[in-house]
Amino acid sequence: MSIAINIKDVSVSINDKEILKNINISLDEGHFLGIVGPNGGGKTTLIKVILGLIRPSSGSVSILGSPPETLKAGNSFFGYLPQHQNIDPNFPATALDIVLMGRYSKTGFLRWPGRKDQEKAMDCMSQMGIEKIRDMQFSQLSGGQQQRVSIARALAGEPKILVLDEPSTGIDVVGQEDFYHLLKGLQKKMNLTILMVSHDIGTVTTYVDEISCLNINLYYHGNPLGALTDKVMTSLYGKHFDLLMHTDICDKCERLRP
Amino acid sequence: MLEVFSSPFMQRALIAGILVSILTGLISVFIVLRKMSFVGAGISHAAFGGVAIGFFTGINPLLTAIIYSILVAIGIESTGRRGRISEDVSIGIFYSVSMALGVALVSLSGSYNVDLFGYLFGNILAISEADIFLTVITFLLVSGFIIIFLKDLFLSAYNEELAQISGVSVVLLNNLFMISLAVTIVISIRIVGIILVSALLVIPGATARLFAKGLLSMLVFSCVTGVVSVISGLFFSYEYDIAPGASIVMASAFIFFLSLLLKKKK
Repeated sequence: MSIAINIKDVSVSINDKEILKNINISLDEGHFLGIVGPNGGGKTTLIKVILGLIRPSSGSVSILGSPPETLKAGNSFFGYLPQHQNIDPNFPATALDIVLMGRYSKTGFLRWPGRKDQEKAMDCMSQMGIEKIRDMQFSQLSGGQQQRVSIARALAGEPKILVLDEPSTGIDVVGQEDFYHLLKGLQKKMNLTILMVSHDIGTVTTYVDEISCLNINLYYHGNPLGALTDKVMTSLYGKHFDLLMHTDICDKCERLRP
Repeated sequence: MLEVFSSPFMQRALIAGILVSILTGLISVFIVLRKMSFVGAGISHAAFGGVAIGFFTGINPLLTAIIYSILVAIGIESTGRRGRISEDVSIGIFYSVSMALGVALVSLSGSYNVDLFGYLFGNILAISEADIFLTVITFLLVSGFIIIFLKDLFLSAYNEELAQISGVSVVLLNNLFMISLAVTIVISIRIVGIILVSALLVIPGATARLFAKGLLSMLVFSCVTGVVSVISGLFFSYEYDIAPGASIVMASAFIFFLSLLLKKKK
């Protein structure tokens, strides 16, 4: 198994403010990593460094053996889901139009997505269970449907690594559980490497293979259950912290959708 | 209505008007999607400084305005990107300083006359064959840019980071867009004027957004709104001797509010 993401001694300072300090993370291909931590702890900055959107002040990042900024367009290593609030919910396009955007980098100069791209886009939509809403306006979809459309768009570029920034925002609690199940299914089916930023540490530990606890420094990286110690939690969130875990009883929650 | 457009100067105004309205219609879509309407207003007002440099130096004011507006547009874009000063603050500074420079230079050159009024509010009598030539060249360059970079512009309007990850050079794209915006604003000045040109950068896109089901249809709706506004505006300008800028903007506002009513009734 090769290493998908390798981060070595990465520090980031923006406008003289230290955002990340000496981060070391290594993630194998096909694994599901959850990045948790408080707001302002550097979670989004870390994924932007991995995506090549921000250059680290020191240290190095390699994605499947190459620095992120050298990854050429069209190779589509990454499928990226930005934070929900950074997408205009009223963007004038149908669900299919949005998913087809994921094919833009594959179509080449002055060429628009063709029949094969449509087929690929529909394939991704059916994997996300949203093929029936293909012609609906993006603005008419619920938060959960919009997130599924966005993931279908990210998958349409046939990425090796799926990067999700707070993907459960805008989805109700029962919907969130379905959503994480869906991600887990994609990971197994497509051997996808998944990187997910979340503030919901309790839920994340149930689904991910590895967890990184980040608050400027990396306080823990490894098995998710190992993160749930007083020491790690206090480093992340301060002293007065109670962790409420989901138990088996959650499976008896009534689902709004089959 | 056809008789109105039988005289040569009105034909020139019509040709320039249609080309300008298609260009502003295209640009307007991205202005609305990227929430940049204040940028359009800022650059158009800043163009006054460029026009005044022309008056002061005796060089063709449209030429000086094009160069000056491009510099201001790139200045706004780069200060916004560096993040030390927010974009709205940088627009506010560029635009008021340029207006001040314009007023100072116009006062010094003593050309407070009808010609200046034409630049501020549009003048259909003032459109020369050279202006038409300049408009055609600009039309070809800007529409060519939009066609070539259409996918990139859509993607970056949806989310700039996604565009960057897909291999789009966002800095280059934004600079080219700002240059196109600046040039479009300046060639629109002859018809609509400095003060009112920003309306043509917002209203067609905003109207199109009410009905468009997709991005391509939004482009078409926006251009149609622009063309109808300009043709009817020129007609009313001629018939009632109103400054064309005012009649064109009122026509486009009428179409917008009518569309809004129709949309609400649906």
